[in-house]
Amino acid sequence: MTEEKKDIYFKIFRFNPEVDQHPFYDDFKISVEKGVTILRAINYIKDHVDSTLTYRFYCQAGICGSCSMRVNGVSKLACTTQVWDELPNCKETDVITIEPMNNFEIIRDMVVEYTPVISKLEKYISWVTPKIKQQDLGKKEHIISEAEFKVYDAATDCILCGACYSECSMMTSSREYISPLGLLKAYRMVKDSRDTRSNDRMKVLNEDHGMWDCTHCYRCVEACVKKIPIMDAIQGVRNEAFLRGMKNSEGYRHAYAFTQDIKSVGRLKESTIAVRTKGIFGAISMLPFALKMLGRNRMPKVFVHTIPGIKHVKRIFQKIK
Amino acid sequence: MKYAYYISCINESLSMEADTSMNLWKKDLGIELVPLESGTCCGGSNLDFTSPDQFLAINGRNIALAEKIGLDMITSCNTCLLGLRHAKHILDTQPEKKEMVNAIIREEGLEYTGKSEVKHLLWVLVDDYGLDKLAEKVTNPLTDLSFAPFYGCHILRPSPLMGGYDDPNRPHTLEDLVRRLGGNVVEYESKNKCCGFHTLLVAEDESVKLSGSALDEAITAGADFIVTPCPLCHMALDAYQKEALAKVQSGGKMRILHLSQIVGLALGYSEKALGLQKHVVV
Ligand code: SF4
Ligand code: SF4
Ligand code: FES
Repeated sequence: MTEEKKDIYFKIFRFNPEVDQHPFYDDFKISVEKGVTILRAINYIKDHVDSTLTYRFYCQAGICGSCSMRVNGVSKLACTTQVWDELPNCKETDVITIEPMNNFEIIRDMVVEYTPVISKLEKYISWVTPKIKQQDLGKKEHIISEAEFKVYDAATDCILCGACYSECSMMTSSREYISPLGLLKAYRMVKDSRDTRSNDRMKVLNEDHGMWDCTHCYRCVEACVKKIPIMDAIQGVRNEAFLRGMKNSEGYRHAYAFTQDIKSVGRLKESTIAVRTKGIFGAISMLPFALKMLGRNRMPKVFVHTIPGIKHVKRIFQKIK
Repeated sequence: MKYAYYISCINESLSMEADTSMNLWKKDLGIELVPLESGTCCGGSNLDFTSPDQFLAINGRNIALAEKIGLDMITSCNTCLLGLRHAKHILDTQPEKKEMVNAIIREEGLEYTGKSEVKHLLWVLVDDYGLDKLAEKVTNPLTDLSFAPFYGCHILRPSPLMGGYDDPNRPHTLEDLVRRLGGNVVEYESKNKCCGFHTLLVAEDESVKLSGSALDEAITAGADFIVTPCPLCHMALDAYQKEALAKVQSGGKMRILHLSQIVGLALGYSEKALGLQKHVVV
């Protein structure tokens, strides 16, 4: 049987902040067999062509999460991505681009400064502080029911590779944002019955750059290398805020206004949503927006008509809490 | 061709021109739309966390209204599309949730079965109607104009819910449509990125940065218009444009078209008839 083999061009991001003024790209042409991973291909380049090429890897099996980088523009693990599978994603035929993750400082080539991730895990108390006293740890058991584990089973698959962090829209806007992996970990801890610090954690999550700043773009979900439904965790943390009656945030008030409108008339009362989200003083900051709309004859209806059959909608809200 | 039309809150009020445009040309294409007057707001990606079961019941009811008249459902808002398809997915895969919803809406003479599809206007044009047929109807090819397609998130992601129309990393349906209407397509990074709409009221600075980058790239790429299939993206890109461009230290301006307006232009309707003067950036 003849092996499938092909010349592939790797266009690789290079940057050493200590010597280079600007990042640049190096091109390498190597012959690659079908079945070879991106990691093995760049290992070949490092071993045989340019030993200064710098990137992280360890397990080579999709477990340690250290080899994440952008391949043809999308963040993924180099060790579980096959060269062949990337060929349809090439902008130029058989040219694969390799770049560091987004939303991080670059230390060198594909190696990024990971400390901000660790700081966020600290800030949002991303560990379990158990009920069991220190002296009894290891002696007493705290049994987790299967039903409880199902709630955060998927979340425990996270290997902290950072692919979601790199693809996140809000991270691009503000490096202070908690990040998708931060929200995922928070959810996992909040739902753990062994933990004792959920109140503290929820308090920090409710602050600026926390749970309400996610813009629902689903880029993290799409990028997750372990296919974790991250949005379920994000919505889960917000649901927790609702269950706890943490009314003190714009995010809460915004969502509450939606629910009330559907219940009372069936449709959204857009004319007052800003006031109800931001309060009367916050809403004044929206005045320029309102004036622009008014200038184009586009004010939302002040009296939204009630949909026919609203009593049936009300019944839904009576029967389901 | 006949569909149940899901009325999005924003198209009923702030972005009326999107639906007005579609209602102008639907006769030209022979697409009949039956508006679901007693449908409710989809929850705007809020109800699903304030109360996941209420979210299912509200949207199960919305889709059941379409099922009752035996039609597939169509929407022209990305976020409504996601809300409806998300609920549909859960109802179609979890029988106990379906029963929970049906137990309530049966009293209204409704039953959710799962037989009606939920589609976006873009998918209907590209797939059900077909671009070949659409191209034949063009009376005013948009030959001299360049368009930057902006998909918006909730027509691409999460991809398992989006029917396989586009690869979220390399979408092409909107480009295909623009080309068949005679227009030119410009490439730019942000075409499958986020407009920031959903956090405009809670984190305005961060949100407008997102639309700002998209606008700046489209201007640099030399587009005459950005075209988007989502009225919420339209709002973020048009109504907040000045703030957005200032936030990314850019200037210039970019006109933003609804999907229904670009089709309308190619079918020969005037900018005025299509409500282009209603936009903030004209
Ligand atoms: S959905 Fe939220 S957390 Fe995920 S990438 Fe988008 S903004 Fe970030
Ligand atoms: S959530 Fe997924 S993509 Fe994000 S760090 Fe964890 S494993 Fe990686
Ligand atoms: S080297 Fe460990 S995940 Fe790739």
